[in-house]
Amino acid sequence: MSLAARQAELVAALTAGAPVPAGMDPVRLGIAARALLYKRAGEVARRWPLLAAGLGPDWHRVFAEWAGARPTAGSLRDGWDLARELQGRAALPEIAERELALVEARWRYDGRTPPRPRRLGIRRVADGRLLTISGRVMVIGRSDSL
Amino acid sequence: MVADKAGPAGPTGLIGAGGLPDWGVGIGWRPEIAGYIDGLPGLKFVEVVAEAIDEHLPIPAALKALRDRGVAVVPHGTRLSIGGADPIEPDRLRQFVAAAHRLEAPLASEHIAFVRAGGVEAGHLLPLPRTREAVDAVVANTRLVQQELDIPFALEPIAAIFDWPEDELTEGQFISEILERTGALLLLDVANVYANAINRGEPPSGLFDAVPLDRVAYVHVAGGSMHEGVYHDTHTDPVPPEVFDLVEALCDRHRPPALMLERDGHYPPAGQLTVELDGIATASGYPPVTPAGP
Repeated sequence: MSLAARQAELVAALTAGAPVPAGMDPVRLGIAARALLYKRAGEVARRWPLLAAGLGPDWHRVFAEWAGARPTAGSLRDGWDLARELQGRAALPEIAERELALVEARWRYDGRTPPRPRRLGIRRVADGRLLTISGRVMVIGRSDSL
Repeated sequence: MVADKAGPAGPTGLIGAGGLPDWGVGIGWRPEIAGYIDGLPGLKFVEVVAEAIDEHLPIPAALKALRDRGVAVVPHGTRLSIGGADPIEPDRLRQFVAAAHRLEAPLASEHIAFVRAGGVEAGHLLPLPRTREAVDAVVANTRLVQQELDIPFALEPIAAIFDWPEDELTEGQFISEILERTGALLLLDVANVYANAINRGEPPSGLFDAVPLDRVAYVHVAGGSMHEGVYHDTHTDPVPPEVFDLVEALCDRHRPPALMLERDGHYPPAGQLTVELDGIATASGYPPVTPAGP
């Protein structure tokens, strides 16, 4: 098998739950896959601090369950996709709702292609509205909470 | 010509591998510890993650201030995937070279590793099979970088949690052949050497006898920890005493021109960074770069 094919097999095993490539040590690959997830969770937490903080002691478990069979799309999109999924099942912590709303106000993201800056938009949040003009986000209504 | 760009020569004025000056002790520049690094009076070089230099943004002010006071800044790539079976993505190579130019870098570096395959990002540096085919892939991609870069380029062997069944070469043979065929310099990470030795059950200093130490451009020193019976090169834990011992063993054989502390998170109080920087100075015999104590 070619180097390219073997490398692709390995990456799929480590990031997407594909079978362990022939001849490789499954124990060591399992350890490597968990180390990758831990590092990735840290990177997403840095980009989405309120998502991680809102989940507190559950953060690493929730992230690992969600990310275990999903290769990374970068920490911005990983955190975004996870936040939307949690929101969809009413499991997104309140402070993470605000963080998501702020990011959604600044960027347009279809969940499949890289996010693009939003020039103009208005979004409702729990205690007011977020107005985006030329990439700047303003809070209308109660402004003490963002 | 290289020395012109390299800023002030080291304390001894000696010229090391690739005509680079003797920089002594340095540190990986990260925004979180920029204030601490700014207060290091004897500093002559820092390394910065190349992908952190965003082509659409100004160079971080604290980094530019270091550059302006004559501290050399070395961009360190993590996403070129030099060991990938496919050629480096042209856009990534262009950004890497642009970062080196903007930083007026005297040297740049990357890893002997791959980070993506089959269109999927691994999210971390992965080890290559030590085969002739993998050597060819690394050599081809290194040459692509060297064609675009007008400064010396150094390659760093990584820490591996696992090995490939198709390995044909020892690690020493694998690294030496890549350096010989490309003319690249070596970025030797002593913590990676330690991690690999522990995880393979081999003596750590063995690699020092198997690679050309006169080609070492600089050295990484970092911390790690044991999990599940495996040593992980985390960069978020203290540097273990065994790694400082290895730095000493390396310098006894052939002292490299520069050595640096690499820390990537869970940043400790300034005092702990000072202890580790001074530990590198003591183990290597270079002058400390930290402020003199009370």
